[in-house]
Amino acid sequence: MVTSGFERRTRAGATYATLALFAVYCLFPFLWMVDTALKPPGEVRSLNPTFWIVNPTLENFRHVLTDGNFLAYFRNSVIVAGGATALSLMIAIFCGYALSRFPREPITRTVGGALLMSQMIPGVLLLAPIYILMRELGLLSTYRALIIVYCTFAIPLCSFMLKGFFDGVPGELEDAAEMDGCSRFGFIYRILLPLAAPGILATALFCFVTAWNEFLFGYVLINDEARRTLTPGIMVFKGPHLTDWGALMAAAVLAVVPVAVFFVYLQRFLMEGLTTGAVKG
Amino acid sequence: MKALVDTPVATRLEAAARRDRGARRAALGKAAAVCVAPAAVFLLVLIAYPLSRVFWSAFHYVNLTNPTVSGFARLDNFTTVFEDEHFWPSLWRTCEWTVVSVVGEYALGLASAVALAQPIRARSVFRAIVIIPWVIPIVVAGLNWTWMLTPDYGVLNIWMVKLGLMAKPYYWLGNLNSALLTVSFVNIWRSFPFYTISLLAALLSVPREILESAAMDAAGPIRRFVYITMPELKIVSLTLIFIHVIWTAINFDFIWVMTQGGPYNASETLPIMIYRYAMEDFDVGAASALAMMTMGFMLAVFFIYWYGARSSSRESATW
Repeated sequence: MVTSGFERRTRAGATYATLALFAVYCLFPFLWMVDTALKPPGEVRSLNPTFWIVNPTLENFRHVLTDGNFLAYFRNSVIVAGGATALSLMIAIFCGYALSRFPREPITRTVGGALLMSQMIPGVLLLAPIYILMRELGLLSTYRALIIVYCTFAIPLCSFMLKGFFDGVPGELEDAAEMDGCSRFGFIYRILLPLAAPGILATALFCFVTAWNEFLFGYVLINDEARRTLTPGIMVFKGPHLTDWGALMAAAVLAVVPVAVFFVYLQRFLMEGLTTGAVKG
Repeated sequence: MKALVDTPVATRLEAAARRDRGARRAALGKAAAVCVAPAAVFLLVLIAYPLSRVFWSAFHYVNLTNPTVSGFARLDNFTTVFEDEHFWPSLWRTCEWTVVSVVGEYALGLASAVALAQPIRARSVFRAIVIIPWVIPIVVAGLNWTWMLTPDYGVLNIWMVKLGLMAKPYYWLGNLNSALLTVSFVNIWRSFPFYTISLLAALLSVPREILESAAMDAAGPIRRFVYITMPELKIVSLTLIFIHVIWTAINFDFIWVMTQGGPYNASETLPIMIYRYAMEDFDVGAASALAMMTMGFMLAVFFIYWYGARSSSRESATW
């Protein structure tokens, strides 16, 4: 670009300075969490806190994993998030296929519009009726209640993400398959799904992470310690008065691990996913 | 040629083809209906039905634990809400929390997106770092910041005192004046990467030729940004701000995890009030009335957005 050397240099300097500030701002809380988790109690409760740990220890992790219900919370979250992901993917594959291939059909437009609108209706407004509904169905404090409720945000999210990926599979392939006598469901099963597999995996992981992070319904619909999921579980861990911050941070680190691992894969899909409007913050 | 087309055989063939197309269209409609049906059922049971229950309960006496409470309530539930001494302060705080959060998120998102859009080395590394807060679950982010802000051993308090910024540690989440602002600050930290990614995508698609010709016409970097880049970002910005106004206004998790609405309701917003009505007072009627009012507020925001997006797209069409 035609710019003066002075402008280029100040611009480069300002850019790196800004990015360095942002890097500190974004990373510091995360690193401090890991740091605290590795400190012995004496260093956690220090009036002179530093990043340097004199006696690094895994005691906090041992405490979290062996005492208390952390492992049960973790397992419950895996079951609920996994179940919700599987169920909503099964439904969203067909819905996403319809959104991608029959976008002009009146029924597709109606349901597509309703799915978009439903993303705008927040869970807390529907809290009381959903609680009552689950109580009437006798599903309070069951995995099924959370799996079903998580589908409310997971189905729209998955449908629109999958639509984007299905759009990338050329329509000519479907015509060719039809000419060779392949049925519509045969096409979905034998051609569309294998071709869109990376996108489907990305959708599944994103859906899993969103369900994993959900807090409100897990907090309200589950009252049984044995069925409690991780996010409300961590909050219970905090306790009302005296908090064992080292152990709490160890639990937090463990809760972030699966999310972080999945995001390494999701990174390259994120740009597109966010811009197509399928992703809810 | 014309004679051939007009022969009965051709007409019949065409009629058959038209019939075929008709049948094919009907088949498509049927396939579409079959494909969207399961999703539609879920929407009806888990969104439409609860939504209609909210409307119904707003005008009836409903108690979560006492089934003998029943009957048509006229506008009593709305009166309960309006006469609640916490309602108007909560409404005001909801606006405060939303405006502070969204303005802060947008400012940080824009600044980081502009920095990331420059021709720099290691862009993907910086982009990955900036996304980190958004990846962390709200509960974890909330507790982590609560820990860093504790008055006794919190690292931020101690370091700020050491740097001479404060005389003594301050209980950020425990003071009436600072509790909501502190939670807003943490919310900004967690939410701004979403803006970064969306704005970065838009920034990278601003045509370089226009920027370049403006630079040749001696427009400085600030003028180029204000007159060329910003108008290109208008639609993305409006959409981002609109969805985040709604998501922030109805956000329950952050405030609940960090302060539970306290101290002394100092950080209580409308979603927290809805939760308290429903799950602590068991007054589903009042909770539903408040939920309906919140929905009305959201609809108003939606119409403002819709009008804004439409008028700005008309502007760019004439341009």
